[in-house]
This record gives sequence, C-alpha cells and structure tokens, in this order.
Amino acid sequence: MKIRDTFLLPLAGVALVLAVWQSTVVLYRLPGIVLPPPWDVALALLQLTGTQAFWRDVGVSLFEFASGFTIGGLLGVAIGVAIGESRTFRLASTPVVESLRFVVPFAWIPLTILWFGTSYTGKIALVAYAVFFVMVVSTARAVAAVDPTLSRVGTALGMGRWRLAWSVHVRAAAPTIASAARAAAAIGWIAVVAAEYIGASAGLGLMITNAASSLATPVVIAGMIVIGLIGAGVSALIGWLARLRLDYR
Amino acid sequence: MALAIWTLLAQWLATGGGVINRLPPPWRVLRDLVAYASGELWRDLLFSLRVFTIGWVLGATSATLVGLTLGRVPMLGNVLIPVIEAIRPVSSIAWVPLSIVWFGFGLTSKVFLVGLAVFLVVIVYAIDGSRRIPHDLERTATMLGMNGWQRFRALVLPGTLTEVLIGSRVALMAGWGTVIVAELVAADSGLGAHLIAVQQSYNVPAVMATMACFALAGFVMNALFARVERRLMPWRHDVDRP
Repeated sequence: MKIRDTFLLPLAGVALVLAVWQSTVVLYRLPGIVLPPPWDVALALLQLTGTQAFWRDVGVSLFEFASGFTIGGLLGVAIGVAIGESRTFRLASTPVVESLRFVVPFAWIPLTILWFGTSYTGKIALVAYAVFFVMVVSTARAVAAVDPTLSRVGTALGMGRWRLAWSVHVRAAAPTIASAARAAAAIGWIAVVAAEYIGASAGLGLMITNAASSLATPVVIAGMIVIGLIGAGVSALIGWLARLRLDYR
Repeated sequence: MALAIWTLLAQWLATGGGVINRLPPPWRVLRDLVAYASGELWRDLLFSLRVFTIGWVLGATSATLVGLTLGRVPMLGNVLIPVIEAIRPVSSIAWVPLSIVWFGFGLTSKVFLVGLAVFLVVIVYAIDGSRRIPHDLERTATMLGMNGWQRFRALVLPGTLTEVLIGSRVALMAGWGTVIVAELVAADSGLGAHLIAVQQSYNVPAVMATMACFALAGFVMNALFARVERRLMPWRHDVDRP
C-alpha cells in the first residue's frame, strides 16, 4: 500500500504524461520545432551534458546565484535584525523598504544592464536585491515575534541589548529565517535566469534563449529541465542545511 | 532621508566625471515620470494590465477546477499531483523561450506565461483547501441528510474558494513579475517594451520612471485585492501573510 502510494502511482503519472506527450506529437504530426517527442529531449539533454559549453553555462549561472544569495542573505538578515530590534531604525527604514519591495527584481534588469553591462556583477546585484528583500521582511517579522519571556530571561541573566539580539532573538527566529531563505533562493535563481535572457555573455538563460531563436526546441526543453532541477536542488540543499543546524527543534 | 541620500549620491557621481550620468537625481526621474504619464503611459499600462488580468483569471480558474478534482478524487490525485510537483520547480520564467516558440510575440504567449505562473501558485492552495475540510463537518453534513452534491456546494466549494482567494493574492505578485519578464523578452507592447526601449536609448531617468510605474501598479493591485479579501473574509486576521 505504502509503496503503491509513494512510488508506483507517481510513476504512473509520469508515464501517463510521457504517453500523452508522445501521442500528441504522433497524432497531430507536430514538427520537432513545435513539440519534439520526449525521446528527442532526453537525447538533447544527454548531448548537452557532454559539452563543455553547457557546464560553463551552469557554472556561470550558479556562481552568479551563489554570490548574490550570500551577499543579499547576509545583508538582509543583518538589516532585518536591526529593524526588528530598534524602533528608531524601523521607523527610519520602513518607508524605503516598503516602497522598494514593490519594485519586483525583474523590473531592475534593464537598469542593471545599463549600470553593469552584461557582466556577472549585474546579475549578482540583482540576485542580492531579490534575496535581500525577502530576507529583510521575514527576518524583521520573525525577530519581532520572538516570545517576550525569552527576552526577559535574557535580561535577567544580564545580557546586553546586542547580546540579547544575537544569542536569543536570532536563534529563536532561526527556523523562520531558514524557511525564508528557501523562498528567497527560489526567487533569486529565477532572477538569474531572467536576467540572462535579457543581457548576458554566458549562462543557462542565454543558452535557452539562443536555442529558442535557432528553433532548437529539444535543447530549450532540456534547458528548462536543468533549470528546474537546479532550482529544486538548491532549495533542498538549504532545507537540509537548516535541518542539520537546527536539529535541536 | 532616503531621498536625501539619493540626491547626494547622484550629485557625487555626476561630479565624479562619468561619461553618462548613471544615477539621475530624483527630480529628473519625477520629471520623466510626469512626461510619460501625460503621454503613452496609459496605453502601455492598459496593455500590460490586460495581459495580466486575462492570464490571472484563466490561471486561477483552471487551478481551482484542477485542484478541486485532484484534491477530492484520491486516485487521480495520487497519480497527477506528483506530476504537478515535478513541473512546479520549473518556474514560469523558464517557460518564456518555449512560449515564444509556441505562440510568437503576441498577446497569447504572455497570457500563457502569466496563466501558468498563477496556476502553479494557486493549484497548491486549491488542493490544500479542498482536502482540509474538517471531517467532523463532513460527517455532520452527511448526518443531516445532505447528498454528495449538496455537501459539495455547501462545504467543499466554499472551503476551497477561501484558500484559492489567498492563493490568488500570493499569485498576484508572481503573475505581475511574469508580465514584466515576458514583456522585456518579447518586447512588442506594454510597460516592459517601453522599459526596453528607453533602456536601449540609455535614458536612465526614464528607465527608473518606468520601474516606478511597475511598482505603483503592483502596489495598487495588492492593496485593492487586500481590501476585497477583507470584505469577503472578515474572519481572517492574518491577511498580511506574504
């Protein structure tokens, strides 16, 4: 029963989708540039993984993502804690954060290209921006929502303000911050791909737009699968790290 | 205060002797915003909003129908929910090139992308909502002599729709972001096309003015929907949930 539900039925679902896909192609005699059969996509994926250019693109995209995520994440948590801890800081920064929050990262893409060209820096800045806002907002909320009893215990133990913030509030808020990090990673990863569509010299986004404009649809779909796998992988990695570090819960 | 920092920074950069004045001072952005607002803004905005609205409505409706079916029919759910879970990590943004190959640069491809983005968000809420109907209530309804259809109308449908409503608000920003990317890549009309056009003429103040338009539109939509949500579901207090 358990095996059936967790393994066989999903497999049946995947098989069904592949069958529908294949029969659509055959029945409507779709040309390969519109919808290639699944087999062609698998073949394209296999061929891609054999080329050096593909791994370079993956490497570039991952590098841009990882740098941006680190910068944006650290800054976001730091400023989020400051907003959660200090009333003055909160009042001063709320208008800025709230108004910039609605400038979706994607809207920054043309401006980052004007400022930084098609270099890595532009994408790193974009990812950092995207990650930063997710982290600031949820960190500030999580820190502010920490059980006041904990703060009183900390004060009774003679902790100063920053000691209290760092050793008590941030730790209590860590699970929320970790799940925000997962959401931020998803957004950041998409932002990299979107930025690469519009102006880049290398990367997965550039690879699939190039493939699309030469109508190599199997490569496009293979690229989409890779993008999805990396996105899911990054999210799983962060989840795993969080569980590893936060297993006291 | 932020405006003051911005102004100082712009002054400093401008006197730093860059070839292009890369960070315009706020009043120049404001001037461009006014110029744009008295001209083509409304046509572009209308176009973007049309793409967004059609895609959003189609995406949310289809997600509700599919979600209800998958959530209430366990057999189908077991087979097809894993398929949806497999597609979900491939963000709608990754579909942009494929959508252009399929539907060209016109309205259809953008509506498809927005619809997909909204669908992928709302479907989770729809499945969740249709499954989270309390069993006690279902048993009570059966005991009161309601047949399957009545139970569906009175219990399952409202329960699902409240979750769908929340999902639709979450999907608002996802959908709006997708409109931006789709219009930037397949730039033939709308705010995104304008953004690319002014970018290609190195007009930084106009780029920032267009970004402000995007942000304002997103903000207004979010605020409007939050109001509607409070009206329809006054018992929900955590409307601020991201």
